Amino acid sequence: MNLMQEFTKGIIKENPLFRLMLGTCPALAITTSVENGLGMGAAFTGVLLASNIVISLMRSIIPASVRIPAYVVIIASFVTMTDQLMHAFTPGVYKSLGIFIPLIVVNCIILGRAEAFASRNSVVPSIVDALGMGLGFTIALVMVCTFREVLGSGTFLGIQLLPEGIPAILMILPPGGFITLGCLLGFLNKMQKKYAL
Amino acid sequence: MADIIKLGLFLMLVAAVAGLGVGYVNNVASPLIEKQILKEKIDSFKEVYPGADKVENESAAYLKSDADPALKEINIAYKNGKQSGVLYLVQSKGYSGLITILAGFDISTHKITAIKVLSQSETPGLGDKAKEPKFQDRYRGKNAATALEVVKTEPLKEHQIQAITASTITSKAVTKGVNAAREHFGRTFVDAKTN
Amino acid sequence: MQEYFIIIISAVLVNNIVLSQFLGICPFLGVSKKLTASLGMGGAVSFVLVLSGSITWLLQQYVLNPFKIGYMQTVAFILVIAALVQFVEMVMRKFTPPLYKALGIYLPLITTNCAVLGVAIINIQKDLSFTKALVNSLGHSAGFTLALVLMSGIRERLEEADIPESMQGAPIALVVAALMSMAFLGFSGLL
Repeated sequence: MNLMQEFTKGIIKENPLFRLMLGTCPALAITTSVENGLGMGAAFTGVLLASNIVISLMRSIIPASVRIPAYVVIIASFVTMTDQLMHAFTPGVYKSLGIFIPLIVVNCIILGRAEAFASRNSVVPSIVDALGMGLGFTIALVMVCTFREVLGSGTFLGIQLLPEGIPAILMILPPGGFITLGCLLGFLNKMQKKYAL
Repeated sequence: MADIIKLGLFLMLVAAVAGLGVGYVNNVASPLIEKQILKEKIDSFKEVYPGADKVENESAAYLKSDADPALKEINIAYKNGKQSGVLYLVQSKGYSGLITILAGFDISTHKITAIKVLSQSETPGLGDKAKEPKFQDRYRGKNAATALEVVKTEPLKEHQIQAITASTITSKAVTKGVNAAREHFGRTFVDAKTN
Repeated sequence: MQEYFIIIISAVLVNNIVLSQFLGICPFLGVSKKLTASLGMGGAVSFVLVLSGSITWLLQQYVLNPFKIGYMQTVAFILVIAALVQFVEMVMRKFTPPLYKALGIYLPLITTNCAVLGVAIINIQKDLSFTKALVNSLGHSAGFTLALVLMSGIRERLEEADIPESMQGAPIALVVAALMSMAFLGFSGLL
C-alpha cells in the first residue's frame, strides 16, 4: 500500500513539472511534437531509475560531505550511456532532442530525487519512486506536447488532424511553449483547488 | 588531512567505476552509431541519385583548392562501371545556421536528379520546411545549364524555384548551395565533354 | 570583426538563451521577482559561464579530443563546472567579500543551471575557435542577464496587478515570458 503511494505521488501530488516546477527547460524546448515528449520522458525515466538504484544501494558507503559530487558523477555517467544508446538505436529521436539529452544531467529532478529520496530509502521504494516520478514527468511532457503539436502543426504523433492553414505556427515556436505551459499550470491550479487533489 | 585523502580516494573510485561503465557502453554503442551514420549517408545517396551501382567519394580528384568554399564533398555515382552521376555535399548559410544539402546531377542528361537537406537549424514551422519533400521536389529535373532563381509566386520559367512561404532566406540559401554545385558540375562534367 | 559582431547579436537577441533556446529557465522563473536579485543572479551566471566556457573549450581541445574520449564530454564538463563554482565561491569569499555578499547566495544554484553546461556544449558543437567561443559565452551571458532583468522589471509591476488566483506566480510569469519571447522573435530579421 505504501509503495502504491510512493508511485502515485510522482504523478499527481508531487508531479515534478506541474507541482515542483522542476525540469522546465526540456518541458519548453523539446515539446514541439508528441514523439519528442515520449522520447525525452523515456530517456529521463531511464536515467532517474538507474541513478536512484545505484545511489540507494550505495547510500551507506557514500560519505556525507562528498555526496553531491558523487551523485553528479553517477548521474552524468548514466546520462552519457543513455545518450550513446539513443544515438545508436533511435537516431531520429536523438537528432530532434539534440542538446537536451546531455542536459538531463542538470535536470534538477534527478539530483533532487537522489538527495531527497534514494539516499534515505532502500532499493525497492527508490525504484518505485523513480518510476512514479518518471511517469509523472512523461505525462506532463506529453500533455504539453499534445497541445503544441495539435495546435501548431495540426498533427498528433504525425497523423494529420487539422487541415493545412488552420494550425498556428506560433505554437511550435518558442512563445507557444511558454504560453502552453503557463495556461496549463493555471488550469491545473484551478482544478486542484476545486477538487482538492 | 587523512579525511581529505579518504574522501578524495572515494571520489576517484566512483569516477573510475563510472568511467569504466561509460567506456564499456561506448564500446558497444560506437560501432552501431557509425553504422547508423553510414547507413544514413547511403540512404540519402540513393534518394538523391537512384539506380547507381556504387558511389565513391572522389573529392580529392575533383575538389580543387580554388573551388567554391560551399562545396564540401564530391561523390561520383557509377553505373555499369561508368561515371553516371555526381552527388555534391554543399553547405550554405541559412537563416539561423548552416544548411547542409546533398544535390544529385545526372551526367548524361545534365539535369538535377534530386536534392535533400541533410541538416539545418532553421525556424521550426517556417524555414525547416526545407527538409520536406514538397520543397525539395521543386528542384527535381531542373537543367544544370542556367542558374536557379528564387521567386515568391508560382514559377513561370524553367529555372525558377518557388520559395517556402515566409521563409525566403532559407529558400535562397538552399538555392545558393545548389547553384554552387551546379556551377562546378557545369564546368567539370559538361563543358569538359563538349569541348 | 564583423563575425564577432554577428555572434554577439545572435547570442544576445536573436537566439536569446532563455527566450528562444530555453536554457536556464529555472533561475529565470525563480529569481526574477526583484530587480536586485536578478542583477545578482545575472552577474553570477555570467561570471561562471564565461569562465567555464573557456575552460571546457580547452579541456575538449587538449584533453578529450587527443585521447579520443569525446564521449566523456558530459561527465567531464559537469565536473569542471561544479568544481569551478566551488572555487569561485571560495575565492570570492576570501578576496572580495562585498562581491561575495552580492553574488554568493546564487552561486550554489549555478551548478544545476543548464545555461552554463548548455553554452559549453554549444561552443563545442558549433566548432567555434577559442576567441569565438569566448565571445559566444559573453554574448549568451549578456542575453541571460538581459532576459532576467527585463522579466524582473515586469514582475515587480505584476505584484500590484489583480491576477486570478490560480494564475498567480509561475503561470502568469510563463505567459509574460511568452509575450517577451514573441517580441524577441522580431529580432530574428536582424541577421
